[in-house]
Amino acid sequence: MNETKMLVFGAVLGALYIVTGLLQVLGPVIGPVPGTDLLYLTGDLFVGFVLLVIGAVFAVGARNLSRDVGEGAIFISVGILLSVLFGLVSLLALCATGLDVFLLGEGAEWSVADSIGPLLYLAVIGAVGFLAWGRETLRGLTSS
Amino acid sequence: MTREIRIALTGNPNVGKTTLFNALTGSRQHVGNWPGVTVEKKTGRVRRNGYEIEVVDLPGTYSLTAYSADEIIARDFLLDEKPDVVVQVVDATNLERNLYLTTQLSELQVPVVIALNMADMAEAQGDAIDLARLSAFLEIPIVRTVGTRGDGIGDLLDAAIREVKTSPHHEHTIGYGDDVEATIAMLADALSADTDLTGRYPFRWLAVKLLEGDESVLDKVRGGPALARVERILSSIDSDEYEAMMADKRYEAISAILPQVRKANVRSMSPSDMVDRVVTDRYLGIPIFLALMWGTFQLTFTAAAPFMTMIEAAVGWLVEFVAGSIEPAWLASFLGDGIIGGVGAVIVFLPNIFILFLILAFLEDSGYLARAAFIMDRPLYALGLPGKAFIPMLVGFGCNVPAIMATRSIEGEKDRLLTILVNPFMSCSARLPVYILLAGTFFPEQAGSVVFFLYVLGIAVAIASAKLFRSTILPGEVSPFVMEMPPYRIPTAITSLRHMWSRGSMYIRKAGSIILIGVLAVWALASFPLGVDYGSAGSFAGMIGHLLEPLVAPLGFDWKVAVALIFGFIAKEIVVGSLGVLYGTGEETLSSALLADPGLSAAAALALMVFVLLYTPCVAAIGVIRQETGSWKWAGFSVAYGLVVAWILAFVVGHLAGFFIGGA
Repeated sequence: MNETKMLVFGAVLGALYIVTGLLQVLGPVIGPVPGTDLLYLTGDLFVGFVLLVIGAVFAVGARNLSRDVGEGAIFISVGILLSVLFGLVSLLALCATGLDVFLLGEGAEWSVADSIGPLLYLAVIGAVGFLAWGRETLRGLTSS
Repeated sequence: MTREIRIALTGNPNVGKTTLFNALTGSRQHVGNWPGVTVEKKTGRVRRNGYEIEVVDLPGTYSLTAYSADEIIARDFLLDEKPDVVVQVVDATNLERNLYLTTQLSELQVPVVIALNMADMAEAQGDAIDLARLSAFLEIPIVRTVGTRGDGIGDLLDAAIREVKTSPHHEHTIGYGDDVEATIAMLADALSADTDLTGRYPFRWLAVKLLEGDESVLDKVRGGPALARVERILSSIDSDEYEAMMADKRYEAISAILPQVRKANVRSMSPSDMVDRVVTDRYLGIPIFLALMWGTFQLTFTAAAPFMTMIEAAVGWLVEFVAGSIEPAWLASFLGDGIIGGVGAVIVFLPNIFILFLILAFLEDSGYLARAAFIMDRPLYALGLPGKAFIPMLVGFGCNVPAIMATRSIEGEKDRLLTILVNPFMSCSARLPVYILLAGTFFPEQAGSVVFFLYVLGIAVAIASAKLFRSTILPGEVSPFVMEMPPYRIPTAITSLRHMWSRGSMYIRKAGSIILIGVLAVWALASFPLGVDYGSAGSFAGMIGHLLEPLVAPLGFDWKVAVALIFGFIAKEIVVGSLGVLYGTGEETLSSALLADPGLSAAAALALMVFVLLYTPCVAAIGVIRQETGSWKWAGFSVAYGLVVAWILAFVVGHLAGFFIGGA
């Protein structure tokens, strides 16, 4: 039962990362895709690359779990850790940018929405997975 | 009365030797996870029971056969300096491999004490080791230690003192079988004719090394009366076969002992192993590594921004204050444009440097960088670089000088030379201020990604150059890479901060010394001859810049950039300091001044970053290349090759960028 939940979680989150990653990478090439405004895509190729990498880790985990081969669960757990890690990087960048703008006194030219990107909001879903499975992995990892 | 004794601390890499050294002597050192990180000899002192003890930390080695510079340093110290006792630090979680070195130390006939380190980790994974029984088998005193907590330090020193007082010392050697033993006996007999060797080296040990094909031992015999007979004996055997047979016998002896002294708990797979399945995955390993590097540079750029703003504001205020309150004008210019403007332009990047080092320290201390070296081994090997080269390449992200020195752990002269020659392409922290200034100014939205691109480009050029050198000037086979994975650890804040400070403070010292001198030289060139406008075409700087401008004009650079690049030869940070001086930034920041310069487009800025990444190593790096290769020829080659590659790639990148974003 737990593995089924994990499989569904990994497959859904993996798909979300891969789709946003592809849109992020292809955006500058094919132009803005209608209806993607709410995704806060930045057009940064490397952000797209990171999204695809995290998506691939989830996808391999989900595939292995569905076929009952390899360590599917651990791929999803590591995917969760990566998701949360890059979410924290994005959050820290957002806070630092906000502080910088405050110090420069140019607050009117920046809003929080300017610094929101897929790595940040997808990490919120990742954090749910972290609460369910990731903490156990992290604890085992650091006590081993 | 105080008696002096000397302890040599030896052991495999990554067994906690440096941590134990710190616990013994109380000294402060960086504790790394990479094999071969301890290259230089380190010493410390401790007093115990009326003894003044000198502890010498030797480089980590897997054996005492002279394959690498580390092994030669360790072995020569044991043989020539003859310490009173050798303490071998053994990783309790990996006895098989560690005891291989013990068998070789026993053959050296030196008094040995074993510090069974990381005993807590072995116990945590369910291993139970019978110390008394193991000690009886090896005939070597063994003390349980946990270096990170300082457990067993007093007992270890007591055991070492006891061993020094024990006389005579027992000999404990491996039996290599009748055929090999007969050859060893013949060689030992032949060597006994050489009176120069008598008393300096154990004959049996020399014979064993000769059978293993150890060239440095053969050198000791050359010129002596035993050489002819030794060569006759060696010509009658296959040394590769003998070496393999003797290694087998040593492992056989270890395998015979271990089941009798250790109850190992066999677990299916530890969480550390499971995570390694993902991060060292054949297909996902490198992308995950690149993603983490991107995150590192993203954070380096963004998290430092508010601190940079604060320092920038303070520097700007100081320049204005000096300009408005100091007379005469030349003194105000000297202090404001020269010292404060120049050095200030460099120290504004301190937060970036410290954050980068903090993240790298975290990755290193957590154990991840060892995995990165592992996953890069395959592509490096395929491209003609030994896997061990990745470690100096990673060190190069901090500074190329220690990185080039770290190549001493690489076996094979050609492999080592190759690694030295490509190391300057690894983007050191001195280049970071240039990227941050230009990327932040011309590509504010993608600054982190631009910096990441430059680091990746540096790695790509290093690898491509290695492939080129391997197929042209340095042909040959690549040495195999043996490495281990330390377990993951949560780095302590104090360790990571200390690590960050020890590397970052170097940057502060540079700002106060060589960078200060460099920017003052630029100020003087921009101010003289007397009577010219500061930084004008009529100044010495202007004359030099205009002389060199035709060389860099195809890249989109003007004379100011040419002057800055010339001074960047001393230290790369001076490029930014020089621009700060030449643009004479007062009320405006250097970023604003650069943006306002119609002669510097975004494409040219990208080309400039590429040029700074790849062109000649700094003076200190050139000096260390000369020292490590023993030749000015290779140092000169490194400078010339770097300049050519930098010019070509800056031209290509600048024009491509001009095509896509305009303003070539």
